[in-house]
Amino acid sequence: MTELLHFEDFRAGQLFELGAHVLDTDEMIEFAREFDPQPQHLDPEAAQHSMLGGLAASGWYLCALAMRMMVDGLFNRSTSLGAPGVDEVQWRKPVRAGDRVHLNCEVLETRGSSRPERGFVRFRFSMWRIIDGADDERVMMFVCSVMFGRRKGGV
Amino acid sequence: MWFEDVPLGTTITIGSYLFTEDNIIAFAKRYDPQPFHVDKDAAARSPYGGLIASGWHTAAVWMKLMMAYRRDHVAAGAADTQANYVSPGVRDICWLRPVRPGMVLTYTNKPSAKLDWPSRPQYGLLEGENEAHDQEGTLVYSFVNRVMLLRRPAL
Repeated sequence: MTELLHFEDFRAGQLFELGAHVLDTDEMIEFAREFDPQPQHLDPEAAQHSMLGGLAASGWYLCALAMRMMVDGLFNRSTSLGAPGVDEVQWRKPVRAGDRVHLNCEVLETRGSSRPERGFVRFRFSMWRIIDGADDERVMMFVCSVMFGRRKGGV
Repeated sequence: MWFEDVPLGTTITIGSYLFTEDNIIAFAKRYDPQPFHVDKDAAARSPYGGLIASGWHTAAVWMKLMMAYRRDHVAAGAADTQANYVSPGVRDICWLRPVRPGMVLTYTNKPSAKLDWPSRPQYGLLEGENEAHDQEGTLVYSFVNRVMLLRRPAL
């Protein structure tokens, strides 16, 4: 088994790539039906008339999707203990079925906890739309601190 | 309700939601499969001492309840001025206490600020302070939402 990433393995400035995903119409709509049943997330016809100009993913779906990519790409090979919150989420562009996106995160800072066996790592997570022949476009961003366990006997 | 008509400072109760082992695990299996969200035994051995809900589940339920609240108000005769609710993001998400099976969270919303949105002058940006309390009245979750609301059309 690969060694787990601990608090001590993170340093400001590190960049982690957390994988890519193609947005699936059925999954987007299923999430919206349960949690965000608005026309712009459910009905391609009605969505044409919304501010988003067509069927688009719920922002909360994008957060959940990003979380899944974070778990698969980083947290499940780490001592992550979850996050106490998120400073800010920005939904910057509509994201649509069939869009190819990738997620990365930059380590902004690391700091100790009042509990000596843990520490906090502050990340900026960015979801990017992949556009052939052009620069990737940042469609969502959030900044949050995640708790990680330290190595036993570490200082 | 048009942007101009929303009263600031009035707290509304938007609804309640029962978190169960089944809905906690179902959400987390798809979107946040960390051991303390999906595996009872692993969760019992974790620092949380048992299964807890994904923070994004707690967050998405707010949207679900808010949509149901608005639908019910329109059904009861409130003016349906907003066809869509679009948000540029949220801030200050605080997962203050673990959410465990059997907990019923009651969510509240208090419109707290009105801001201009110069690039789309037909809209105003409404900020709201949101909280969720458990059956004992303990605050377990809070965040600030931002939503674009149509202004009252000029006569």
